[in-house]
Parts: sequence; structure tokens; C-alpha cells
Amino acid sequence: MNDLEAWLEEGYPRSFRTACLILGNRFDAEEAVQEAYLRAWRFRSSLTGESDIKPWLYRIVVNSCNSKLRREIPHRDRRSGDDELAGKSTIGDTPTRVALSQDIVRALQDLPLHLRVVVVLRYYADLSEREIATAIGRRQGTVKSRLHEARRLLAEHPALQSQTDGNSADSGVLQ
Amino acid sequence: MIDEQVLSDAIRDVAESIEIPEGATERILGASHVATLETRTSKPRVDSPRGNRRRWILAPVGVALLVVGITVSIVGLSSNPSTTGIAGPSRAGPIAHGSASSGSAPLPPSNGGVAQSPTSSGGATGATPSPSGTASPSQTVPPLPSGSVGQSSKVESNGSINLTIGNGKLQSVLAKLTALAVGEGGFVASTQTQVGAGSATPSSGTIVLRIPEPSFATTVSQVQQTGHATSVTTTSTDVTGQYVDLQARIAALQASRQQYLTIMAQATSIGDILAVQSQLDALQSQIEQLQGQLAVLTDETTYGTLTVSLVEAGQRPIPPLPPRTGLDKAWHDGIDGFVSGFEWLLRIAGMTLFVLLCLAAVVVLGRWAWRATRRRML
Repeated sequence: MNDLEAWLEEGYPRSFRTACLILGNRFDAEEAVQEAYLRAWRFRSSLTGESDIKPWLYRIVVNSCNSKLRREIPHRDRRSGDDELAGKSTIGDTPTRVALSQDIVRALQDLPLHLRVVVVLRYYADLSEREIATAIGRRQGTVKSRLHEARRLLAEHPALQSQTDGNSADSGVLQ
Repeated sequence: MIDEQVLSDAIRDVAESIEIPEGATERILGASHVATLETRTSKPRVDSPRGNRRRWILAPVGVALLVVGITVSIVGLSSNPSTTGIAGPSRAGPIAHGSASSGSAPLPPSNGGVAQSPTSSGGATGATPSPSGTASPSQTVPPLPSGSVGQSSKVESNGSINLTIGNGKLQSVLAKLTALAVGEGGFVASTQTQVGAGSATPSSGTIVLRIPEPSFATTVSQVQQTGHATSVTTTSTDVTGQYVDLQARIAALQASRQQYLTIMAQATSIGDILAVQSQLDALQSQIEQLQGQLAVLTDETTYGTLTVSLVEAGQRPIPPLPPRTGLDKAWHDGIDGFVSGFEWLLRIAGMTLFVLLCLAAVVVLGRWAWRATRRRML
């Protein structure tokens, strides 16, 4: 708990990718996560117990992302980093998988921020609804309704609709 | 609706494809060290409840001080009286007169003395200002006691008064001042009047009074009562030493002359008589010169010189204009309304500024409190 290096080793990759999914840009995500970790380290005395560190840290990351979106990114082209996230494919990825990644990124970025955050925290960071509620400072019921709304919007998104139309028969990715 | 597991897998696939930037953790560690060093070298930040409590106490105190300061400055600006440049009697402090008279003339402390011009030719007044602060030593040093050097103290007094009098009262005031001087045993040395050429140049005049020394101070006070005194200046100079010196030199010369007369009475030759006569003529000339100086000094110490400058007040009342009608009245009413509105705007500008400053203070305080709250929630 008192070792920043251990914090970073354990949580930086996941925090960075979470921020990338929220912000849609690697550079902004790197800055936001750095700011979040420095802030967390500075105010680590306010942490009460070891078990709360995960949602607490995610809360700071989300707040940093929110600050960045509110202060800096509106002055830039927010969609400039989308392709960068979606274009990273590894050897062995099938074209269908790459296309799905691009569609997922596009659909995520089209979600409203408050919905995007809960989706990323739930389906990537693997936080429970209670931990998400702690991370975003809302009640658990609010988290539930936001997740439901996010899934509905994702299902209706045109990019994922095409995936449904083209691939549901053979791969069954989306139902 | 999207299946949760599928959505989770898809998002994780996307996320795992994102490369972690190289050296990012090292940069954070370095920034953390720098921040720690800055914290150690700078004043430590207090996040304890006591510190928060202190901030909560100090912030309203600061706001209250700001509000009080602004209020005081606004009130001070609105109630600042206009100051006049006239050195009137009310601003003057009493000064001790060199004479033994009981009266003391009120004088402005920084006003320069006024030297009396001996001429009274027509045109401008004959008074010229002398350098300021020409108070003679006798104003601060107590007068010499009578007979301290075998001679009663001799004090030469001069004064200058500027009076503003009512319209058309110049001659009556001159007559009153003349009567005042004569009543005190003095006389009028000179007068000069200048009739005004219209409403722009009011009538004025100057009268020089010679007042017996014992009555000088009381006369100054009485002269001030005859009009509105805008400037009063008096100077007193103790000339006792000079007076005694003249007397001694005259006495010595007279003794010499007496000796020369004795020698002359004993002279037998024409040459001796002429030589003694020459010395007697020189002595007589010196004696008469010194006696003249002594006479002047006696006159100046017997009578003080008071110069009174009179000016009739302002312009004559202007007859009222005929009432405006029609377009003329409408035009002037409009201008008056515009000026009134502008004055009203200027008046409320001060209050608006005050309110805006208060609001700004509240906003700053609220922003600070909000940030503090958010920091605590983290």
C-alpha cells in the first residue's frame, strides 16, 4: 500500500487501457493516468483499507479522465485517436476480429461519457456494480440502469448492427 | 441486447491490443520523486482537520476584512469634504506678539508675510508677497523684558489683511477703517481705490493704517470684523538692540563733538580752527545721519503699519431669466434629464462595484471550498 512502484506494476496497464477506452487517445490516457497515480499517491493517507484501493484508484482515474475531457480535449479533435486504438492488431488476428475491434471502439466512443465509463469499468476493468458505484460516486441502482442503457445503445449502434447482420450466422459474436 | 460475456470479451480484446507506453511507470516514479522533493523544500501542505479548520476560519475573516476595507474606502470617498485654499482665520494658530499688548492676532502658520510698499499709485495694489515662512525670531522667542538693556523694548509691527466685503460697501468700509485708526490714536498713511469696470471686475481698494504699537493687536482683530478675512499676516520685529546701538553711537559722537568744540575754543591760529571745524562738520553729519535713523526707528516702533486690502464680493446678482417655453424648454429639460441620468449612473457605479467585488469574493471562496471538498472525497 505504501509502495508506488508496486501500485504501478500491479495496476498501471489496466488503468492505462481503461483510460484509453474512455478517452479514445493514448497520449491523453497516459497523461490522465500519470496524473491520477500522482494524485492517488499524494492522498494515499485518505485510503481507509486495503480492500478499497481498487475502486478508489479507478475513481481517481475516472476523475482524471473527466477532467481531461472537460478541460483540454474539447479544444481538440476528439476523434483523432480512434483509429489508433482500433488499428492495433496482432499477428494471427483474423480480419473479422480486427473489424470487430474497430466497431467496438467506434461504438464505445459514440456512447455518452457517463455510459462509456460504466461499460469500461464493468466489462474491461471487471469491477462489480458496487465497486463501480464507489468509483463514480453514484448509487448502485444508477450503475445498473446505466449499464442497461449502454448495452441497449450498443446493440442499436450501426457498426455493431452490421456485425450482427454479417457475422451472427457463422461466429455468433453478437446476439 | 448484447450478451454481456461477448461484449466483455470484445472490449478486452480491444484493450489488450493497446500497447503500454514504454517508460510510463518510470516517468510517474520520477514525477513522484520530484513532487516529494518540492514538498520537502517548500512549505508543507497541511491537510489535517486542524488545518482545514484554520482555513475555514481564515477565509471568512479575509472576506470580512475585504468587505470592511471596501466599505470604508467607499464611505471615505463619499464623505471627503472639499478643502479650500483660503487661509482664513479659522485655520490660523495664535502667535505671540512682540509687544506687551494682551491681544494676539490669529495667523495662518504657513502664510508668508506681506511687505508694505511705500507707494500707492493707481492700478494694481502695492502689496507684493514675500517668501513664505518669514516669521521673525520675535514670534517664537519671548519678548525681551522691559529695561533689560537699560531701554524699554522696541518692537516694529507690520501686518497685512485681505478682506472681502459686500457689494457697494467699499467706501463705507474705508471710512470705518479710518475711524478705527483715528480712534486708536493712529492715522491713515495712504488709501487707494479701484472702481470695478463691471460685474467681472469688482471694486477694490487698499488702505494703509498706522496704529500705535500698544493697540496694534486689538486693531488687527477689529479690522477683521469689518469683512470676511481671507488672509491675515502680521510680523513683529524686536529692534531694541539696533535702537540702543544708534543711541550709543550718537552719544559718543556728541561727546566727540563736545571735545572738538573745547579744542576749537582754545585754538589760536586759523589753520587749527579750520582743521577742528572740518572734524566738527564730519561729526555733525554723522550725528544727524544717525539721528535720522533713530527717528525712523522710533516712528516704526511707535506706530505699527497695517495694510488692508479690500475686495468687493463676487458678482452682482444676475436677474432671473425669463421662463423657457416650447421647444427651448423641451430641449433643456432633455439635457437636464440626460445629465441627471448620467449622475445617477455614476452614483450607482460605486455600489455596483462593491457588490461585484463581494460576489467575486464569494465565488472564490465557494470554488476553494468545492475543491477542498473534492480533495477530501478522493
